[in-house]
Amino acid sequence: MSSIIAKLDVPPAQEGNSLSSEASVVSATPTINLLSQRRADFTTLVESLEYAAQGETGHNFYDAKGNLKSVLTYKDLCANAKIIARRLSGLGLARNSRVALVADTTPEFVELFFACRFAGLVPFAMPVPVNLGSRAIYVQQLKGMLEGSGASVAIANLDFIEFLNEVVGSLGSSELKWSGTPEQLNLLPEADVALSPNAPDETAYLQFTSGSTRLPRGVVITERALMTNLRGIVCNGLDVRPGDRCASWLPFYHDMGLVGLVLAPLAAQLSVDYLATRDFAVRPLQWLKLISRNRCTIAFSQPFGLKLCTLRARVSDLIDLDLSCWRAAGVGAEMIRLDTLKSFSAKFSAAGFNEDAFLPCYGLAESTLAVSFPDINQGVKSLRVDAKTLIEKKIAVRVQADGRKFNEFVNCGRPLPGHEIRVVDDADQEVPHLMVGSILVKGGSVMNGYFNNTEETARAIRSDGWLDTGDIGFLFEGDLYITGRRTDVIIVNGRNIRAQDVEELAEQQPEVRTREASAFGINNEDGSTSVVLVVECRLASAVDRQALINRLQQMVYMAFGVSCLVELVSPHTLPRTSSGKLSRFAARQGFLRRTNMEQPATTSYTVG
Amino acid sequence: MSKITQTQITELLCQRLACFTDVEAEISPETNLITHLAIDSVKLLNLIMEIEDQFDISVPLNALVDVLTVQDLANLIYKIKLSS
Repeated sequence: MSSIIAKLDVPPAQEGNSLSSEASVVSATPTINLLSQRRADFTTLVESLEYAAQGETGHNFYDAKGNLKSVLTYKDLCANAKIIARRLSGLGLARNSRVALVADTTPEFVELFFACRFAGLVPFAMPVPVNLGSRAIYVQQLKGMLEGSGASVAIANLDFIEFLNEVVGSLGSSELKWSGTPEQLNLLPEADVALSPNAPDETAYLQFTSGSTRLPRGVVITERALMTNLRGIVCNGLDVRPGDRCASWLPFYHDMGLVGLVLAPLAAQLSVDYLATRDFAVRPLQWLKLISRNRCTIAFSQPFGLKLCTLRARVSDLIDLDLSCWRAAGVGAEMIRLDTLKSFSAKFSAAGFNEDAFLPCYGLAESTLAVSFPDINQGVKSLRVDAKTLIEKKIAVRVQADGRKFNEFVNCGRPLPGHEIRVVDDADQEVPHLMVGSILVKGGSVMNGYFNNTEETARAIRSDGWLDTGDIGFLFEGDLYITGRRTDVIIVNGRNIRAQDVEELAEQQPEVRTREASAFGINNEDGSTSVVLVVECRLASAVDRQALINRLQQMVYMAFGVSCLVELVSPHTLPRTSSGKLSRFAARQGFLRRTNMEQPATTSYTVG
Repeated sequence: MSKITQTQITELLCQRLACFTDVEAEISPETNLITHLAIDSVKLLNLIMEIEDQFDISVPLNALVDVLTVQDLANLIYKIKLSS
């Protein structure tokens, strides 16, 4: 920044007359592009990039204080990615080999991602560690992804290479041929090869969903599915137009961060301003400042991110903000509660935020990203339904009279063109409108399956092509309302936690036997969710029991970054199905019953 | 603030953490941030912001993976402070 300020004082005669003065001044890519806009009407990702590279727009990376750190125009991205692609080609990998990238919010990640596509390789993003004391579990997580994907190359920048090296050292026989930093990769020679175009049926990338344990699931997305979804997002969801500009703090290893705020803007040649997730989390206002300063029009967040902004903003912060430019405030990736959106707009309307900008949408990595969007610029619509009928009869009955207890659900809009949504009951029969059931999705964006995992694939995709999303909800007047998740996924502060992963962690303890731990989520009064772990335990000593509780809480925290409520119960307390499987639903019911009857302070569970 | 010792950092941290969490018990260098203080992700982010502002440093994410106790955190801050 100081160089920009310094330049203002430079006499006009010297300004802009040399390449060096241009190189020393970093300025963000423009919003307005001289290149005429094409709205994601490409057949492959690299074709999108080749077109965007003819314009002036691109990516801008900001540091924790909001200073512009680096700029990567689409033009440079395209050129650099091709050079790196030739270096990768020199490794002699088979087409469609997997390349693992630890996905920090950096220009290098984006270059590597596209380099893979130019070279006909399949990239996938791995997370960065975020939790206290999580080294061992993080390394295990990376290992699971490398093994599960059969990756041939693994790359991490300097901050994370030691973790990657630890994993590589522990891999037995593996397909891994090369691992290192982007700098080390740049030392490899460029192979003298022609980069061949990608076909729509080829895999564009893998997206790993949650999965902290042995069997992570890598969603396989083809070029065709990706481009279908990008077109839906750009044309239908956001109705992108010239003058749009995006801002994002979403991690590149999440589907919403990668597909929604890296690939979709690129497919419409939009400039994007990035803030690292960590920097947003510590200082969420930086994101809003970026939107305000650069006049961004599109920015997405999980509800949790909006909550952080609301919590942290002081009245004095609002003075410098002008959010009136923000026309599409996308919200997704977890259950959307109306009060989260209301408190956000209550706080930031003073800074020009227009609540009609809210765009609550629904999607999942298994359908590339987006499934449904409401009409743009209509704000949040919601439905109040009778709480009792919803639970007892699984029917959403609109509340007419005051005084009835109700649940309010957010309208997540209609499916993208070429996609259908169906709600079915336990017998797989389609249910009428307003009846709650499992949400199924069909259409061009749906994944091919989970990589190398026919069992999980068969569980997720029906033989007739319908994807079981794992979410429950209902349709009303063609619009989708999500009422909850099924019991196999717990969502806390925007993180998806698989119940099975929590149970497996518990079962790794010597005191805990297989199938004697059950994990589920419970809703707190304030609308947040807590993870509960009920474990059958044979320990008699109070000291040993407390030690086990502490250890379990610590393990869960290190793996998932959330506090957990641990309850130790006597053997044979957890309800089982006729086949001997634990029923999480029944375990949850039992827990709620026990905790209502007993005082928390005197029982064997502690709040962690 | 230029010549702060490791002990001073630890003391400061214990004080900050005491106002920060609702735990009654005394906070010592050995206190486990996760099991004793129940530092969840929101509290952790607040804590990092305070640390960064107070010590004028930037705490990298990758360093937190080895932090379990107040002492670990103090050592980390000291290390970052020294090298900055």
